Amino acid sequence: MSKEKSDEVTRMIILGPSAQINSSELVQKIHMLELPLTIKSTCYGAIIHGKENVVKDAVEKIRKLDPYNIFTKDRGFPPGDPRRCRAKRGAAREGFHQLEKEFELLDCVREALEKPREVHIEKPIKIDPDSLKKIITECENED
Amino acid sequence: MKIAIFPPNSLILADLIERKGHEALALQKEIRKKVIDPEIDSPPFNITEEEPIKGLKYAAIEVPSGVRGRMAIFGPLIDEADAAIIMEEAPYGFGCVGCARTNELSMYYLRKKKIPILELQYPTSREEAIEMVNTINTFLDGLEEKNG
Repeated sequence: MSKEKSDEVTRMIILGPSAQINSSELVQKIHMLELPLTIKSTCYGAIIHGKENVVKDAVEKIRKLDPYNIFTKDRGFPPGDPRRCRAKRGAAREGFHQLEKEFELLDCVREALEKPREVHIEKPIKIDPDSLKKIITECENED
Repeated sequence: MKIAIFPPNSLILADLIERKGHEALALQKEIRKKVIDPEIDSPPFNITEEEPIKGLKYAAIEVPSGVRGRMAIFGPLIDEADAAIIMEEAPYGFGCVGCARTNELSMYYLRKKKIPILELQYPTSREEAIEMVNTINTFLDGLEEKNG
């Protein structure tokens, strides 16, 4: 693997349903960061590709545009890769279906992030042997 | 902390983890290693006969090669994990996470690892989704406290 390639990463920038900017504005803002990145405008936001530290820096700056409505996720394939790009495949790329499902929840995620609430996490407890024996006896009696 | 997520390609889980300053062990990081190599032996991905052999570390020889091949990718992520968030019943029936047996095996390895684990159900309503985000954030804050 060549060195230039191995430290390059791709990130998907996804705009939530209540985002204050649209994808073309987002792409403009990313261009204005003047970072050495490959930028692709998409229906859900944008894809950025470049050196890992540059992408990380860009993601931090992009999040600040609308912290509760901009979500990011790693992507394995570079932007426009013919193995994944919809233009070449003729149908939605595989990951799009999961993204579509998760997109439905993004507005709830935004609401929870804006108004955080402390919740109590109950630790799962192990079932005691007597209760297990009772369940087994009940099941046997049913049969 | 490095946190394994399940489904391993989840946007919401990966994003929430990164917001709290942790590293999400997302599947895409492993996939990237397979697809950007200029010497691709087995297009379109670099999944070769080596993968089911590597998968033997996680699954027995009689397990289908598809499961072992997937475990060769999921396995290193599980090995690296310091904590895990598992979201069950997620609609992940597409792409390379569409193998139910691999998913069961991956969850089994995560549970067996004796690391802090948060298990959730995929939310079906607005209230459940808000509760899920708050639970994840509380869990992540707890990890920070434990870690100093």
